[in-house]
Amino acid sequence: MIAYLSNLATLAAIFGLLAATLNFMVGQAGIFSVAHAVFMGLGAYAGAQVALLVVPNPLLACLAAAVVAGGLSLCLALPALRVRGEYFVAASLGLQMMAVTLFTEAKPLTGGMGGLVGIPRPSLFGVVIPVLPMALIALVLFLVLMSAMQRGSFGRTLGAIRDAESAAEALGKNVAVAKALAVAFSAAGAGVAGALFALHLSFVNVESFTLEQSVLVMAMLIVGGTGTLLGPLLGAVLLLSLPAALSFLPFIPPTEIGSVQQIIYGGAMALLMIFRPAGLLGDQKRGRSEA
Amino acid sequence: MLELQLLLGGLQNGALYALTAAGFALIFGATKVFHVAHGATFTLAGYVFIGAWNAGWHPVLGVLAAMAAAVAFGIAMERFVYRPIGRHEGGFFTVFVAAFGVSIVVQNLIAMVAGRGFANVDSPLSMASEVLPELFLAPVFWISIVAAVAMFLALTLFLSRHPAGVALRALAQNADLLRAYGLSSSKLSILAFALGSVLAAPAAILTAMTSGINEAVGNHVMLISMAATIVGGVGSLRGAALAGLLLGVAEAVVLTVLDTQWAEGASFMVLFAFILFRPSGMFGAAVAR
Amino acid sequence: MTIALSCQGLARSFGGVQAVKGVSLSLPAGQVTALVGPNGAGKTTVFNLITGNLRADEGSATLHGKPIMGLKPWQVARAGVARSFQDLRLFQHMSVRDNVLAATEPAGWFWQPGGASARREREAKADAAIQAAGLSAVADARAVDLAYAERKFLSMARILAAEANVWLLDEPASGLDLSSRERFQGLLHHARAQGVAICLIEHNLDVVMALADRIAFLDRGQVLAEGEPQAIMRDPKLAAIYFGDRQ
Ligand SMILES: Nc1ncnc2c1ncn2[C@@H]1O[C@H](COP(=O)(O)OP(=O)(O)OP(=O)(O)O)[C@@H](O)[C@H]1O
Ligand SMILES: [Mg+2]
Repeated sequence: MIAYLSNLATLAAIFGLLAATLNFMVGQAGIFSVAHAVFMGLGAYAGAQVALLVVPNPLLACLAAAVVAGGLSLCLALPALRVRGEYFVAASLGLQMMAVTLFTEAKPLTGGMGGLVGIPRPSLFGVVIPVLPMALIALVLFLVLMSAMQRGSFGRTLGAIRDAESAAEALGKNVAVAKALAVAFSAAGAGVAGALFALHLSFVNVESFTLEQSVLVMAMLIVGGTGTLLGPLLGAVLLLSLPAALSFLPFIPPTEIGSVQQIIYGGAMALLMIFRPAGLLGDQKRGRSEA
Repeated sequence: MLELQLLLGGLQNGALYALTAAGFALIFGATKVFHVAHGATFTLAGYVFIGAWNAGWHPVLGVLAAMAAAVAFGIAMERFVYRPIGRHEGGFFTVFVAAFGVSIVVQNLIAMVAGRGFANVDSPLSMASEVLPELFLAPVFWISIVAAVAMFLALTLFLSRHPAGVALRALAQNADLLRAYGLSSSKLSILAFALGSVLAAPAAILTAMTSGINEAVGNHVMLISMAATIVGGVGSLRGAALAGLLLGVAEAVVLTVLDTQWAEGASFMVLFAFILFRPSGMFGAAVAR
Repeated sequence: MTIALSCQGLARSFGGVQAVKGVSLSLPAGQVTALVGPNGAGKTTVFNLITGNLRADEGSATLHGKPIMGLKPWQVARAGVARSFQDLRLFQHMSVRDNVLAATEPAGWFWQPGGASARREREAKADAAIQAAGLSAVADARAVDLAYAERKFLSMARILAAEANVWLLDEPASGLDLSSRERFQGLLHHARAQGVAICLIEHNLDVVMALADRIAFLDRGQVLAEGEPQAIMRDPKLAAIYFGDRQ
């Protein structure tokens, strides 16, 4: 039971981090991506390789993950953000669908379908440490960073861009750079979450980085509410407990739990957008960007 | 000959992509709704046809049922999802999430009802025969090409001749103007969704008859539709159709060099190349901001 | 009299419509130049061409002698040109103070250069702009919740805080009542005394006459006349165009 709960808590922290960083991109910067699992995957592979090939130092793994995921996200962000918002969504969907193939085929780096196995337990100065405290620290660290940015000038810049891009530009904001930074930061956070995920399971393969995963993270964010600090965490906890909750319902055959779960959060996304667009915790008066 | 074989396959897929993408572009042009659930329309139409086929219905009935399902789904999306969101002035984000959510529901409902994995229909029409040495073509190939050309011609005629079609084009140009003339933009947007959705049905049916479809095919269709609309130039029907064709052929070209799983990558590559070098697309006006 | 900003032969067409054809303008420092003309004359388009929001088909523009054509809008802004928009484009979901603070922070990536003292300076600048625009009472309200006149003044406060030496104002006084208008005129008088070159698009001739040092009259994309307010206003031909009974 303890093991089960600690596993759930670790996953909640990791997915909370994913949802919160996606929130930074969507809620703060108004950039919409369906490729968050790709950045998580990049971080997971980078972190796992560091642990496998160099040292199982979790800090190093997270750093490598952040650099790889954040850096590569710029390759998508810089060109795609020059044009309209729809382009970025389309490009991110394309990237997400292609990345699954890339992850499967780049066997030397990712281990292909079989994935990377036997990732050593993370240890610092020779002491093995569980992932849960690290995940919590990473989560808190990113939340603090994000709320500081949200209140500071960078948050103002992003808010200005989201509300009226041309007016932000007329005040001298380099919109493309600001957006790219927001994407890189958010992707770096997803990368860290990925590395922690890999260290936690000591195994990763491409199945964890599919479109379904991106959608799951998006659903966590939507259910909790975009633009709030704690909404994504609530969403993560709710959706992570969903499979367990569903397995208590006797009339759902175990093979269909996955589908039922997806129907629930797909339906929740649609219904929330129709009736409560700011999510469960969001400020309902606050509409969406109209720029 | 293998190259030619693949290329013709690409042409067939491209023709079907062109139909689907034209439907998406028509809806986007007339209503400014980024209808990402268009992929779900496709999936639904395909599975309705397969269901009708397996139940032993006459194929014509199956086709009609598939078209009816597509139209009904499109209109339902307009009435029950996009319009309420439009009333509280939801932006692109809200529309996208809602439509994506519905797509996920449709995909999983289909998986539960019809089962996972590929489903297709085996008809004599999908039997390939050797037309040239080492070149095999099934009647479906010709049907796809003819269907695509015919539907596109019919659409063009409708948009240029029929008053409602002309009004639709006007709606794409300037919604305010149209309202000033007292034309109902709400009826017209229903028309746009009906027309756009019906275009996905033949594509779905013919895909089901050729390579088969699975419950997740909607994601690919969604990507193709968005990519074609952007590559063709936002606002251009002809552009979207041509870009759909281009994406089909590009996939085939990729297949001559790489394995099947890279086909998805082709559309991303083409899309990305356009975003890099020609963001206004093939026929689009310069992107104004 | 130094010319802060000047443009020569600006031209731009949309499809077949020539919105601006060969417009030349000079904005002297410390003067208000009113840009008047009927709806659709191309006034806003001239602004968009100067600020780089639209690409000009032809023509050039210089700021203090340096060419600015082809620069991106944010580059033009950082060079010292502030503009307002006819439809305001406030940052709706941000507070008044944040709207104005944003105008004081053009550069910077994740944070602003200069540390705490620079930050206090920016905050002081923003507060001064809010005060000058008469928005102190609503400094914490969101832009979307403001009344009409307050929104117009918020748009002005952003420009005040940006500390630019060229202002391009697109109908900033439209719809203001008499007392608000006087407050607005006070703002412009003050800026003019500081040496700001102001270009003001305005339909209300009372405001124009009260503020303008010079008038440029634009019609169908061309500058028909340019000069002293009295002279322009007395021209019966222009009056006929402006008051709509041409032909
Ligand atoms: N982005 C654009 N695309 C197409 N046409 C445009 C665009 N911007 C302006 N126009 C056209 O150019 C012409 C001039 O427009 P502009 O907005 O500059 O006029 P204006 O003088 O500011 O009018 P008003 O007093 O109504 O604000 C109009 O016919 C307008 O329709
Ligand atoms: Mg104007």
